[in-house]
Amino acid sequence: MLNGKILTKGKNMYWEESIETISRKKLEEYQLERINFTIKQAKKSEFYKEKLKNIKEINSLDDIKKLPFTTKQDLRNFFPYGFLSVDLKDVVRLHSSSGTTGNPTVIFHTKNDLEEWANLIARSMYMTGVRKNDVFQNMMGYGLFTGGLGFHYGAEKLGVMVIPIGPGNSKRQIWFMQKFQTTVIHILPSYALHLYSYFNELNIDPEKELNLRIAFIGAEPHSEEIRKKIEDLYNIKVYNSYGLSEMNGPGVAFECEYQNGLHIWEDNYYVEIINPETGEVLPEGEEGELVLTTLKREAMPLIRYRTGDLTRILNGECKCGRTHKRLARIKGRSDDMMIINGVNIFPIQIEKTLMKIPEIGNNYLIEIHKEDYMDRLYIKVEVNEKLFTGTLEKLDTLRKKITDELREEIGVTARIKLVEPGSIPVGPGKAQRVIDLRNK
Amino acid sequence: MAHHISIFIENRPGRLEKITKILQEANINMRAISIASLGEFGIVKILVNNPEKAYNQLKSNNITALLKKIIIVLVQDKPGGFYNLLQILSENKINIEDSYGFILQDKKEAAIVIEVEKYPQTEEVLLKNGFKLLSDEEIYSL
Repeated sequence: MLNGKILTKGKNMYWEESIETISRKKLEEYQLERINFTIKQAKKSEFYKEKLKNIKEINSLDDIKKLPFTTKQDLRNFFPYGFLSVDLKDVVRLHSSSGTTGNPTVIFHTKNDLEEWANLIARSMYMTGVRKNDVFQNMMGYGLFTGGLGFHYGAEKLGVMVIPIGPGNSKRQIWFMQKFQTTVIHILPSYALHLYSYFNELNIDPEKELNLRIAFIGAEPHSEEIRKKIEDLYNIKVYNSYGLSEMNGPGVAFECEYQNGLHIWEDNYYVEIINPETGEVLPEGEEGELVLTTLKREAMPLIRYRTGDLTRILNGECKCGRTHKRLARIKGRSDDMMIINGVNIFPIQIEKTLMKIPEIGNNYLIEIHKEDYMDRLYIKVEVNEKLFTGTLEKLDTLRKKITDELREEIGVTARIKLVEPGSIPVGPGKAQRVIDLRNK
Repeated sequence: MAHHISIFIENRPGRLEKITKILQEANINMRAISIASLGEFGIVKILVNNPEKAYNQLKSNNITALLKKIIIVLVQDKPGGFYNLLQILSENKINIEDSYGFILQDKKEAAIVIEVEKYPQTEEVLLKNGFKLLSDEEIYSL
């Protein structure tokens, strides 16, 4: 049993030692060179051709401030191919956001892009001690979502046996864990806690009958307490993973064995922290919105992309010897995006769906609860005279209709609560439509 | 045409109490009540002596309510009384959407409240088959 032991000591602790421990000076020289590559490459796209028409290259990293930001809205406005910087014949895959508010955000990859992405995942996994003889059960969604496929190819690149099981079906997950003596899992933190309750039911002692030693968690915000709790329950090491589909997906930043901030792979991403209100670049260590520039991507380079995630850069060097900067745990969002069990949802998607039933009007409230460690979305709808026909059947139909349409729109099953008029508080000014009760 | 009040109600303590308090304060007498629930919420139907007034009173108290058309049929208060009524309705392919009943005179007469889709046709069928229907005045002065 290797439970919780750190395996990265000694000679073979790095996947790519020369890159991971590169001097800051050399790294910065490399970054400047790559930013100029990115500018050149990006200008092949419809969007950047116009946006960067007066910019040829920059002469110092500081000059990146002169480049414009790119936003999620830009990606939507230039859907589907406005950001594509290579010929379609060189594109081998796309990933897309789940939401259908307006246009989804779509990211294209060349063969090299996928190779770079897989390499970052392999580097991240290796950093935490995963080796070829491990058995990796990937419990994230496959398909358009980047969590599943991203880790899949990275783990294969590392040489691990991958069980591409995807999410859900707890009993089957445990069966695979037991029969194949899975050592490493990739899982939503909320699901890790939820899954634990099944061990009792199946009469399985995870410490004796399983061989787990490492879990990667990501895709949804979680506290340090949640990580500790998963570590204690399973007696394993749990590492945070950060990524977003616009920047490939997972593998943008990852924790090392010291679990003290996430190393952001600066050979692939240029990092800035800005004041989300003013756009001004903040000094290192201050909290603000994370802005990233891709340094290697061919099919879809992105310049100064506003991630919407709030964080800060941790000062000081890391004991692991890696020179890539560390991000603090993501603190929240600069916009109103909600993350429900790993799925990104904007309130406007829910509003849009509810507006299809005009009688509902403004009489609704979105609530997010934590139940049995899982997020649960509630929509409270006031039954006013316009909605009420005096029969139970019609109310039941209404409830089902809202549930179905929402599932189609956001991919999440919400619980619809029909409530009496006056149940939803109306305050002065703009009504608060979303109440997040998860951390209360 | 007679009416009862159909009220949307959440299934939690104090909701029904609030409604009956509003009716009491308006000096409204309840003749019969029926409750149907889907777990978290339900519908209360109340037959009262002054449906218009009760409805307005509920509405001004921000309660979601509706006046619904009903027919009240008299049946004999003995085994088979309700059956005789249903037999006629089913023979004529009339579907009952909702129904409840109450005794008028023990062992003699009961009143059955029904909600149907086809009102004039139902009244016609019932009268033709010898059933007695209560008029609005009779209903509200019960």
